[in-house]
Amino acid sequence: MKKQPILPVLFAIMLIVFAAGCSKEFSSSGYKAPGKADDSFNLRINFTPVFDTVKLSFDSTYTNFWKEPFSVSAFKFYVCKFDLINTDSGTVYHINPEKYFLIDAADSTSWAVKLASKPFRYNRISFLIGVDSIRNVSGAQTGALDPTKAMFWTWNSGYIMAKLEGNSPLSSIANNKIEYHIGGFAGPENVLRKPTLLFPFGQFSEIVADKKSIISINANVGAWFYNPHQIKIKETPSCTTPGLMAKDISENYSKMFTVTAIVNN
Amino acid sequence: MRKKLFTIAGFIAVTATVVQMNSCKKNDSVQQNNSLTFSVPAGFPKPQYNFDNNPLTKDGFELGRKLFYDGRLSKDGNFPCSSCHQQFAAFATFDHDFSHGFNNQFTTRNAPGLFNLAWQTAFQWDGGVNNLEVQPLAPITAPNEMAEDINNVLGKLKADNIYPGMFKAAFGNDEITSQKMLKALAQFMVMLVSADSKYDKVKKGQTSFTVAEASGYASFQAKCASCHAEPLFTDLSYRNNGLTLHPTLKDYGRMRITDKSEDSLKFKVPSLRNVALTFSYMHDGRFYTFDQVLNHYATGIVQSPTLDPSLKNGITFSIEERTNIKAFLRTLTDSTFTNDKRFAQPQ
Repeated sequence: MKKQPILPVLFAIMLIVFAAGCSKEFSSSGYKAPGKADDSFNLRINFTPVFDTVKLSFDSTYTNFWKEPFSVSAFKFYVCKFDLINTDSGTVYHINPEKYFLIDAADSTSWAVKLASKPFRYNRISFLIGVDSIRNVSGAQTGALDPTKAMFWTWNSGYIMAKLEGNSPLSSIANNKIEYHIGGFAGPENVLRKPTLLFPFGQFSEIVADKKSIISINANVGAWFYNPHQIKIKETPSCTTPGLMAKDISENYSKMFTVTAIVNN
Repeated sequence: MRKKLFTIAGFIAVTATVVQMNSCKKNDSVQQNNSLTFSVPAGFPKPQYNFDNNPLTKDGFELGRKLFYDGRLSKDGNFPCSSCHQQFAAFATFDHDFSHGFNNQFTTRNAPGLFNLAWQTAFQWDGGVNNLEVQPLAPITAPNEMAEDINNVLGKLKADNIYPGMFKAAFGNDEITSQKMLKALAQFMVMLVSADSKYDKVKKGQTSFTVAEASGYASFQAKCASCHAEPLFTDLSYRNNGLTLHPTLKDYGRMRITDKSEDSLKFKVPSLRNVALTFSYMHDGRFYTFDQVLNHYATGIVQSPTLDPSLKNGITFSIEERTNIKAFLRTLTDSTFTNDKRFAQPQ
């Protein structure tokens, strides 16, 4: 009887099975620099909550576009689906589409968004304000989307995409509160906005090997009240349900961002 | 000899494949010998719950069961989920229009029975909650129900001697998060399947209806089943069934969620399984008896722009039909379910 090469065949089968078995979870667009740890980043986006151009303080009284005095006690918003863009070459790079960040004015550790991007020279940035519709209907979430963050409606399931709370003597609500909880993800009530931001004239985000690019972005509370829609505290001290008013406010706050500086080093 | 070697080689290759497949799963140590099977009763449609995102395990189910019966999910400890959802009432509140909540308050809608939730994609009378996993957040945080904050609940669970171990058994580590708590509760709730009533036994050929029940079933199919469709005994749609607007609650139902006038006064069609146990009836529990409900459909319908077209002229029942329909509705009581020890308060 001729001896059959059983063992080599067996090893070959096992090898194939093991090699083909686990595809490691790298999202197709999640960039990982060669030789770097999974959580390494080469792009940092620093959000700074401001009123006009001055850093937001919960102890200050501000005056909105309609000369209405108000103070702020909470200011939070979700961001995700960052795109870096080079309009000269038509390049768009989608970064980690599934990672969500909650920027909370009360917690400065939440202001920095660290991402890994493909090395290139970019001249625009774009991101989604809010939580993609699918995550609004997919049950219990964790991380930035944990319902303990007080950004989830329990009676009409869905995320509050952006929240602004405070006080104003012009508010007719008890304790002169102002309360804007902006949400709604379905059909005509969709408040998801994806602004594209210009960089300061002549500046680029240059991402090259072993270096980082830092993009500083102001988020201006004042923008919630006037452009393109008039939101007067006297008439609208609160908005806490999806609908037309929420859509209007979301169009206003989609214009609240300004890229103030880019540092490449 | 050669054949034997090939058999061994094949066996090892298959084993390697199985081992390899398992090693790709997260928390594979949790999955093994601990999985729980969800059985779809004969004749039921495909479940809607996404089991892939929350694989059922015995430990996950037991954790959910303990949470369901734990008063610490409420602010003052007095209102576990089970205070309004009582097993002997098919997990509705027995003999109440509204249920009791924190600080002597009442709910504003009738607590529904909890069963066959795996087939539902929306919860609450108005369908405002879009996933079983996030449903518990509503009663836990409602100031007139359990009145608690989720972070406080998690704090109480973390401070407990038993919970960390149960979370570890269910999810692979003892970190206690809202997501794990909600997924465990979903595992318990999704297993609440009621499909062993006399009606079901008749369908399976294990017993037969009495003459009255059989006649009542025929009338039911002709006059009620367009909304209360078998086998779930609801088509899960939202309809205005001609009730007057509640004078103080002014509950417009589904319109609150969709903001559309065409949804005014529409509420989810409730399942009639276990209907003899889940009185009182309607979203505000205004009727306590079958007769009151049948009277409503016969002579009480209020005309309005959103009234369901099928109820425009009411539903006519002869005296005999009423008696028979009531007899049939009692065949929907599932005492196997209401006595199932798996769903009872853990010791």
